[in-house]
Amino acid sequence: MSVFSDIFFGGLFQGSLYAMMAVGLALVWTTIGVFNFSHGVFMMLGAYFAWQLVAFGLPVVIAFPLAVIVMAGAGWILQASVVRPLIGRPNIVLVVVITTLAAGSLIENGALTVWGPRSKQLPSLIEGNTTIAGVGVSLHQIAIIVITPLILAALWSFLNRTRLGLALRAVAQNEDASQLVGLNVTALYGLAFAIAASLAGLAGIFMGGYRFMNPSMGADPLLKALIVVVFGGISSISGPIFAAYLIGFFEAASNYYFGLYWTPALLFLVLIATLMVRPEGIFASRSRGLA
Amino acid sequence: MTLLDIAIPSAPGRITWNREAIGFVVGFLLLALLPLVFGDSYSRHVLIMIFIYAVVASNWDLSLGYGGVFNFGHLALFGIGVYVYSLLAKMAGIDPWIALFASGVIATLAAVLVTIPILRLKGIYIILVTFGFAQLVMQVIISQSDLTGGTQGLVRVPGLYLFDHNMIRDGKLAYFYIALALLVASTLFLRLFVRSRAGASIVALRDNEEYAISRGVSLVRQRMVTLAASAFFTGIAGAFYAAYQRNASIDVFGMSLATIILSMVLLGGTSTIYGAIIASFVLTVFSEAMADFGAWRPMITALLIIVIMLVYPTGLVGMIRAAWTLVAERIKRRA
Repeated sequence: MSVFSDIFFGGLFQGSLYAMMAVGLALVWTTIGVFNFSHGVFMMLGAYFAWQLVAFGLPVVIAFPLAVIVMAGAGWILQASVVRPLIGRPNIVLVVVITTLAAGSLIENGALTVWGPRSKQLPSLIEGNTTIAGVGVSLHQIAIIVITPLILAALWSFLNRTRLGLALRAVAQNEDASQLVGLNVTALYGLAFAIAASLAGLAGIFMGGYRFMNPSMGADPLLKALIVVVFGGISSISGPIFAAYLIGFFEAASNYYFGLYWTPALLFLVLIATLMVRPEGIFASRSRGLA
Repeated sequence: MTLLDIAIPSAPGRITWNREAIGFVVGFLLLALLPLVFGDSYSRHVLIMIFIYAVVASNWDLSLGYGGVFNFGHLALFGIGVYVYSLLAKMAGIDPWIALFASGVIATLAAVLVTIPILRLKGIYIILVTFGFAQLVMQVIISQSDLTGGTQGLVRVPGLYLFDHNMIRDGKLAYFYIALALLVASTLFLRLFVRSRAGASIVALRDNEEYAISRGVSLVRQRMVTLAASAFFTGIAGAFYAAYQRNASIDVFGMSLATIILSMVLLGGTSTIYGAIIASFVLTVFSEAMADFGAWRPMITALLIIVIMLVYPTGLVGMIRAAWTLVAERIKRRA
């Protein structure tokens, strides 16, 4: 019983973090059609901003939301500087891969210069530990498990219920037609990046609360988010969310049964097998134009 | 019409064979004379590293630029070269030159293997599968630590030899010329390949897949040929790297090396082969020149990459071409 609940909580917790990361990646992919390889660096940057604000003496309740808002601005700036000028170029997918990789390296090394290589840690959302179903978990982890679905639900209703969210989805579906009906496509591109960056920043804050932070902390979550997004399909927001939890559980189970070393290899094997059978992802409907 | 003319169609606007051959010979002769200018072993070391990077980057240009296949596992082929050589030469005690050749062959086989899952895929999905392949190779190497040394890597890998020549006390002269020979062979092969009919057909597949297939180009076969062709010299470059450094480390699979080599391909301008070689010179020399800047070095490099990609999307070769057209027009106007 304890083994099962161990895997269950571990999967739920990791899945929450992956979902938070993957949704931003999918949002940018669907709206602009590029993969943002500096997404992992956004995660790191969010955590460091939060740490800096806390170090300034701000209470956590103010510092964390403020860091998320600052991240939205950072995402918008990145989009305006290294993505928007390239829109319309024939090889945009490839060029954006390299510009976002370079921007990521710039930010990561910048963080290293500003904050130094020494590991830091953020305060937890809620202090303390508890025992549920025979497993000891920290309240911080419980908070993440509870907050993440709420935020994702809020995002879902924003995209489906508000005019702005619908406009964002319209741009994702057909850019030319959106421009024709008077939507400000460039601003919506910026918005997609801003939302993605603040979600990544939030994921960073969550992670910084239970693990030590360092400037390269975003590399592994980015990799996992990529897997999640491919696994779940990138044409929708809900696909990656389900996939994130599925992969979280898979990882937790594999860590337990096969060990830490074999888990990444197994994960990639599953990914390759999935892509061979269903290239559009397991949760995506078969749709065209997803090359 | 000679056999060569029939085998290799000429296209309007292309540089003729004769011109390219002259440029090729002159260019590489100049490179061969470099040790006369640079006598110290540090500069020669930088040049050797440039040649290795140039081989890896220009071979990547074949699959990425000409083939349009976003193969993000290219560095894994390099890493396979490193480890196959190290294992064969150190553990199995095979002659280093045979191990060097075998590394190229095994890297080619690995490339064929990775092509199978991506035959049905397109664009971004190819990036992810090949990326996954690279991670898979790395994880397997880490987990087989009895053989490969795991994350520690392997040390005291046998180096190459040339008759009775002392490879260590010649100021890296022998390694310089072996590296140069490797670059010459690889570049010759790549240029012949992309100018051949097979090269034309992979470009056709990249530019208009449906049309190319309807004209009888086999997607499956050409994609395999493209990746296999880009793998052979990459694997050998990996083996040479291991022989030169005398060690094998898991770092070759890391993101930082992949980012540097990828920026060489894109900075040079894709679908040129020469662009990647020029860019590996520019980037490596630039990076070495900034050694004093310490932590600022990767930031300046990243900024440089972004600026060039924004201003000159066709890369350094596009920059050179634009400058050349400008000069040529000036001359014409004068005349």
